[in-house]
Amino acid sequence: MKTPSRQDDSGRYADVKYSLYLIRRNPIVLAGFIISIVSVLLALLSPLLVTPGSWIQENLNLRLCWNNGALNWHIANVFDCGGSVYPLGTDEYGRSLSKMIILAIPIDLQIALEVVLFAVVIGVFFGSIAAYQGGIVDEAILRITDVFLAVPGILLAIVLIVVVGRSLPVLTFAVLVTWWPFYVRLVRSQVLSEKEKPYVERLRAMGAGYSRILFRHVVPNSIYPVLVHATLDIGSVILTVSALTFIGLTPSPLLPELGNLANQGIQYLFTAPWLILFPGLTILIISLGFNLLGDGIRDVFDPRLRR
Amino acid sequence: MTFVLFALSLLIFYLTRGLLPPTTALAPYISPRIGPEGKLSLARALGVATDSCPSYAAFVSEESGCIVPLWGQYYGWLTNVLTGNWGFTLLPGITGTATTWHVFFTRFAYTAELSIAAALLTIVIGIPLGIVSATHNNKLPDHASRIISLGGYSVPQFWFGAMLQILFVLYIRLNGFGLLSATGALATACGICFTNPGSITSYTGLPMLDALLSFNVPFFWDALVALILPALTLAITSVGALTRIVRSSMVEVLKQDYILLARSKGLAESVVIYKHALRNAILPAVTVSGLLVAYLLGGAVIVEIVFSWPGVGNASLAAADVLDINFLELYVLVTAVIIVVTNLIVDILYSIVDPRIRY
Repeated sequence: MKTPSRQDDSGRYADVKYSLYLIRRNPIVLAGFIISIVSVLLALLSPLLVTPGSWIQENLNLRLCWNNGALNWHIANVFDCGGSVYPLGTDEYGRSLSKMIILAIPIDLQIALEVVLFAVVIGVFFGSIAAYQGGIVDEAILRITDVFLAVPGILLAIVLIVVVGRSLPVLTFAVLVTWWPFYVRLVRSQVLSEKEKPYVERLRAMGAGYSRILFRHVVPNSIYPVLVHATLDIGSVILTVSALTFIGLTPSPLLPELGNLANQGIQYLFTAPWLILFPGLTILIISLGFNLLGDGIRDVFDPRLRR
Repeated sequence: MTFVLFALSLLIFYLTRGLLPPTTALAPYISPRIGPEGKLSLARALGVATDSCPSYAAFVSEESGCIVPLWGQYYGWLTNVLTGNWGFTLLPGITGTATTWHVFFTRFAYTAELSIAAALLTIVIGIPLGIVSATHNNKLPDHASRIISLGGYSVPQFWFGAMLQILFVLYIRLNGFGLLSATGALATACGICFTNPGSITSYTGLPMLDALLSFNVPFFWDALVALILPALTLAITSVGALTRIVRSSMVEVLKQDYILLARSKGLAESVVIYKHALRNAILPAVTVSGLLVAYLLGGAVIVEIVFSWPGVGNASLAAADVLDINFLELYVLVTAVIIVVTNLIVDILYSIVDPRIRY
């Protein structure tokens, strides 16, 4: 394989090509990339693989059964499912665990994407204004983020969900409330170094307006590290969301959401371990995938390692 | 610092008073014997009901002019918060009239114990891992440490805890693993592990320390064994950030000229790393310790639930179910005070550790 060097081409296209080459070359990043792509694909294909509404149907004759011969649990009295095929056993309500996990992946990914997306938008808006404006505005925005950073996110989310109500939008909102301050800080620090560059001075001399300089020039130039961090964060958001549903802050105990599925499992830890093993493993794999990808991308885009 | 706590109190006040009906604010202060008249005067004393409110029924149905406007309630709320008047607990299964304050801090001792143990473990695991990672940059130990820290960062805390339980309780105990199975304490349900809690004198409130002070070795051993798995879960899942920071700052420091000088003087490698490099590399790690405390106190909620640990995190779920809002308020505020104070101490420590910093 030919190694593309940075001198091959000029401009941004060569840069992207070189980045892709660096990603391909690193097996860990590649693994993260593949896991993330597969989980997103699985989420998109989920309605085709499993009937979306099927999680409401309970089948109490087949509660907590296991008939996959590939794995022996060494537990006495494991209930056998009989003839039907349940690769990952069934849950408390007699639903196929494998189907529930496939139904759960899009739900978790959607919440994670929403949280990260809104956090980035809020972060870009307030963070860039804080950095560019400076003075009292900067101070005010920073102090507000301080308030949110002084409480563990999960505690604030618990209080919010208890007070407002248990539903998926509230869950998303509660995680977002604890998530945005970090992005404000991140964008602020990026914009702070970007706004001192000569081209900003030049734009100002040309008579460009405040919002034009900030949102058309400074922000696009400082957004890269933020987007990298956002990728890395999808895994962490899934962890937080599933932790919240795991402790029971869920709209419905039937809902196929990874933390919620694991929540049923903790009661049957020693009689039906698959019930917590597989949903948790799914969370671990997805979150590890995004973290590996994010970690690798950070290395790829780190100019000190690059040139 | 004061501003952060003040603003946080406003936020919590708005969440709990502004979004919930006024009767929830009243609930923790009601003793079962008082009638509607008593409840109304209680609501007045708490600054929730106005003096012109005709009856308790009118207060409950939130008739106009009966409820003090939200901004007016804040003063009364803050007075209660600062004087420690948190009312009686609504938690189920607690007999008598235990105050929220008392129940919270009895439980909090267990959370503190777990968090302190986890913090020590995190430091003991995290810093050496970061050092090894930096001194063997991009070699096998570095990759191994990267996998541990990224894995710990990505693993759901409840799942890791559950898997440890299965591993130890189900398999090792069944197959006999002398030391730990002897006490049976690793069944981790704390009805079993704290077999005889009455036999120690409470000096500090921290169960393990009290056991030591009252020379109750079996109790201490039981508590210690019960602590291992929860603390390990909490530590492994939070070790990543510390390891990465120690690693990256150590890599930077090892490139410095004075390290080259130390080596060319002929100093032993261990002296170079531990005496010269580590002192400087540890500074960025000190600054994240505030974040670490926040992370441990937050993670404790999940770990306590998985291991049925009798701390505040576990109790907060019950509090959420019965809408014991004062318990949750106390939890958030106490945690915030701890984090803010930690950050203050870190700032002070920083100038001691690094004399170049002057405020």
